[in-house]
Amino acid sequence: MKIIASLARGSLIGYTALFFAFIYIPLVLIAVYSFNSNPVNMMTWTGFTTEWYAQVLGFKTAVSESALYIESTDQLVQAVWNSLMIAASTTTIATVLGTAIAIALYRFDFFGRRFYRVVMFMPMLMPDIVLGIALLIFFVNAGVNLGLKTIIIGQCTFLISYVFIVVSARLAGMDRTLEHASADLGANEWTTFRRVVFPQLLPGIVGGALLAFIISMDDLVITYFIAGVDVTTLPMFIFAMLRRGIKPEINAIAVMMLTFSFVVASLGLYLRSRQK
Amino acid sequence: MSSIAFRRRAQLGLLLGPVSLFLAVFFLGPLAIMIVTSFLAPGLYGGVEWTWYRHNYGRILGFADPMFEDFDPVYIAIFLRSLKISALTVVATLIVCYPAAFCISRLSERWKNFCLFLITLPFFTSLIVRLFIWVLILRQTGLVNAVLLNTGVIARPLELIYTDGAIILGMVYIFIPFMFMPVYASVEKLDWTLVRASLDLGAGPIRTFLRIILPLTAPGIAGGAVIVFIPALGNFVVPAILGGAKVMMLGNLIEQQFLAARNWPFGSALAMMVMCVMLVLLFAYVIVSGRRGIDAATGR
Repeated sequence: MKIIASLARGSLIGYTALFFAFIYIPLVLIAVYSFNSNPVNMMTWTGFTTEWYAQVLGFKTAVSESALYIESTDQLVQAVWNSLMIAASTTTIATVLGTAIAIALYRFDFFGRRFYRVVMFMPMLMPDIVLGIALLIFFVNAGVNLGLKTIIIGQCTFLISYVFIVVSARLAGMDRTLEHASADLGANEWTTFRRVVFPQLLPGIVGGALLAFIISMDDLVITYFIAGVDVTTLPMFIFAMLRRGIKPEINAIAVMMLTFSFVVASLGLYLRSRQK
Repeated sequence: MSSIAFRRRAQLGLLLGPVSLFLAVFFLGPLAIMIVTSFLAPGLYGGVEWTWYRHNYGRILGFADPMFEDFDPVYIAIFLRSLKISALTVVATLIVCYPAAFCISRLSERWKNFCLFLITLPFFTSLIVRLFIWVLILRQTGLVNAVLLNTGVIARPLELIYTDGAIILGMVYIFIPFMFMPVYASVEKLDWTLVRASLDLGAGPIRTFLRIILPLTAPGIAGGAVIVFIPALGNFVVPAILGGAKVMMLGNLIEQQFLAARNWPFGSALAMMVMCVMLVLLFAYVIVSGRRGIDAATGR
């Protein structure tokens, strides 16, 4: 019996190891093969090179001279720039609005709270494509030209939910005795909020903002529908590249994106989970 | 009204006002317009005629507009195949996540948090990049074929990419966090004394699993199934990248209606089909798990 139990335990641990391998080995593979010098068959190793990174970053290389590969570093740079601009704007708006609604739902009792909660969870459940086309129809009917502005508005509709969830979690775990103490000691409501509530809430807000930033940077589906013809974001650029055919520079771009996401998201998740 | 109550009201208004306005105009408004559009007639050159037209749904469900087209069962076939692929994705994701949830729930607090972090992290990395990696692994000149050819296991490259299997694999890969979190939440709450009692009273391991463990973790499984199934059903990126042109799902069809065929009313009707499935599933979930289920799911 004991042998069977430990056997079961061992196989469960083995299974879990495989589970993590399934998640992370593909990411490791792309990191390794982004240094592969084989320009045609990217998964057949022919040698080490940093050529692809150099090209993406716009350095002159032997291959770019032959104009065989990345057609336009300019387009790529423009896409990255657009993505950053959009993410900065959406993060600002979504953080303010998402924090406001989280405080309203956790600190006030009013008719329709349940309705608001359901609305806040709707964008997370709804398939992206539905929101994407709904926004497209809406903007076109309203006569708004598609572009940066519509992307920013469209992304905010679901980013508010993410910020709301992170800040709510923070609010739910907060110790209210400090607020009562502050009130008892004569601080008015505003002072209590500014000096007691807000500092406790801040990690949640920053965490939510970082996650919103990274989700905005990575959003493909909704942006794809409401971007119009002139604006391209980084995920759209890669999507288009994939549809045309894969070139080795994509590996380098992918690895840089992964690294960036990992750093920002780790920070955001750390701030979200940090306990007082 | 006392001045304190009035101040509270004003604060609430200030907090809720802007965000309510924003969501009413840019979230609920567009959804309403999409619903209306799904009942309008398609215009000649990609526009919309403002007349009542029920044949958008007819084209899908079997009563086509006799003026323009015959009923084509291809749409219902795509709908059914999307349901099938989404269902298989749910099952596969559950198989991947369920045992791991048990293992992780028995770890020490520190390791637990670290594992949860590792599982959540990929959710915040680029979807397109994560799918692209699977193209490199699965395609004809990809890693799997290269390894199998070089070791002599196969003589000709296998057709791995552009299949239903590839789509399901891609979906499982991106939906792991969606399934893992709710399943893990219910596994962690599992009362192991009940399991031990069942074993002590002579039930075998299989019976204990079916009668004790499975029912107790069912809420997590149901929650995970719903939140994987819905986005899988409307997904168009995975079939676009891993399914090639051969495998069409609802998401691709909707995308096509908007960006290529320019039949917005029909595209809206298709999107409404996705919404209907979503509402049915959510409704079923609420019925089964009750109000407490919603509150648990929405974090209260």
